[in-house]
Amino acid sequence: MAEENLINGVVITFFSTASAVGKTLISVNMASELAREGYSVCLLDMDLQFGDVSNYLKLNPIYTMADIQRMMQAENSDFKIYEFLTEYEHRGVAFHVLPAPLQLSEAYNIEPEIVESMVRDLQRYYDYIIVDTTSMFSTLNMRLLDLSTIVTFLGIVDFIPTIKNMKIGNDTLRSLGYDSNKIRLVLNRSDAKSQISRADVENLLEERFYHILPNDFRSASTSIKTGVPLVLSPDDSELARALRSLVSLYTNKPVEYESIAEPGDISEEKSGGWLSKLFN
Amino acid sequence: MAHNVLLYESNRIMLGTLSNVIKSAPNCNLVASYQSHTDALGQGKVFNPNLLLIDVESQDATWLITEFRKAFPSAIIICMGERWQADSASHLVQAGASGYIIKPFSAVELKDTIDTFAKGGGLETSCKVMTFFSPKGKSGKTTLIANLAMSLARKTNEPVGIIDADLQFGDMAVFFNLNPSNTIVEAARDADFLAPVSLQSFFVPVTDNVSVLCGTRNPSLIDRVAIKDFETVVNSARSLFKYLLIDVPAGFNPTSISAAEIADVTYLVAMNNDGFEKQHIRKAISLFEEDWPDVKDRLKVVFTRVEPYGAEKSSELENQLGFPMEGILPNEYMLVSKAADNGRMALDIASDSRLSDAISHLADKIIRHQVRRDTL
Repeated sequence: MAEENLINGVVITFFSTASAVGKTLISVNMASELAREGYSVCLLDMDLQFGDVSNYLKLNPIYTMADIQRMMQAENSDFKIYEFLTEYEHRGVAFHVLPAPLQLSEAYNIEPEIVESMVRDLQRYYDYIIVDTTSMFSTLNMRLLDLSTIVTFLGIVDFIPTIKNMKIGNDTLRSLGYDSNKIRLVLNRSDAKSQISRADVENLLEERFYHILPNDFRSASTSIKTGVPLVLSPDDSELARALRSLVSLYTNKPVEYESIAEPGDISEEKSGGWLSKLFN
Repeated sequence: MAHNVLLYESNRIMLGTLSNVIKSAPNCNLVASYQSHTDALGQGKVFNPNLLLIDVESQDATWLITEFRKAFPSAIIICMGERWQADSASHLVQAGASGYIIKPFSAVELKDTIDTFAKGGGLETSCKVMTFFSPKGKSGKTTLIANLAMSLARKTNEPVGIIDADLQFGDMAVFFNLNPSNTIVEAARDADFLAPVSLQSFFVPVTDNVSVLCGTRNPSLIDRVAIKDFETVVNSARSLFKYLLIDVPAGFNPTSISAAEIADVTYLVAMNNDGFEKQHIRKAISLFEEDWPDVKDRLKVVFTRVEPYGAEKSSELENQLGFPMEGILPNEYMLVSKAADNGRMALDIASDSRLSDAISHLADKIIRHQVRRDTL
């Protein structure tokens, strides 16, 4: 059972402006790695309609967000949210999951203010709350972004429409008035097939990627099929190492693996690449 | 060509206003104006008008147009109203009207309307509206819509419209390399006052037969597109195009639900990555099944990036879903990527590709169905 903290836990939200950029995979691995390091962790699937966290972890939850919303609305003072979470466990590493509703009608009726209460409640019991979201600036996502400690804005470099949306998303996030350290731009599948260079994208975004994850489709697929997160798998893939590095950046523990790009402003390094011209 | 205009307007002040506008419009000669439709029907022939502007809000509009058509068999008839009424448009066209204009109008608007309808481009009465829905993003539906629209236009020579209703991250402008001055935001803003001809100016032509109403310029503008205004835009656009394709945001949200309800057919599109896409599609189908008794007529499933590509895989997917498969598209990632990066269509870059064949096949199905519907 979770124990009540004296301080509120850290909320890390994964957000993007395109689907299929790896939000769920990275959320699941971040939760797993934090749990492996001994932190108490709860992973929330906020892709309410078509969330895949339970699929990725091969969970069959008894209670979902819809059930917890109903219980919270009943205002029972004995209600303890952690008693209704689903546990994921692999070789002694365990964390809790708050799964998305099973029915679309339930998903459609989840109320943003109740979700906010859930997160605030969970912060009392867990060191880290990891939040997987959908790819839009919805009312729910805006609330989640507001209450997050860190927003990981995840992108991939594949083709121009995706880059255009990444630029719009990043500009919109920056316009919300958060502290600059709150939003962390992470590139996934860095070496995937594309005619667009990472440098061009960084110039367009006027920001260097905080962290870069390699493209490893095979390891990711295997992880999803087996239900074992990459960081818990005995196959120590390059992607698993890069994921651990990302976690170490968030926990401020020493980086155990190969070096990563440091966050920084590249405004003086602008090359005025062709993408910048396109979006002028 | 000079137009000899007969004006019938029941409101005296409006009659005066419109008379002055017509007198100032290029190539227009106001030959007669009436406040009474019986006077117009009985006396107008004396002046041999070839263009009639008829107020359709004071009488039974269909009856009125039928009577004017009988009295002036060769004249162009343009209806005038204070707002566009999509519901009665097809009745007016069947009664003999060629077009519609919102009053009061300017000389420029009158000229544009006359130019459109005098060329023989009347209001479309049997538009097929198709909404493209996907449970999650990156399904390939924007690629499908853009290429399918081009294919439909080339095969039929009919006007084809695309509405980008992905109100936060619509990509259609990028796909066609457009920089529109007007978007769905402006069209929705003016929805109540737009006749189809005016709405047409919000669509950006990409070829002779294909036009696009582009999505919002940034995510915050989503609030400027009210659902009722979006529906008005779609209903008005029905009168402009033979085929109207609507791109909507992923998942069930007010825009995608509204677009699905208003469409003749909704295409459920997902990328086949051998992940959980089939589960998501099945979940979406079940929701449509709950609400639509005729779900098999209104809902069509298309999988993209299917490999191995072929009839066998299509049957396999159909069996797994327990729902008919309307089409499958092969994985042509590099072709799609090259097209999207250069504002070109995959159909044009590689007309003999498997992707082009698959889209052509889907277009043929749509056209056959529409021809059958028109025949009935």
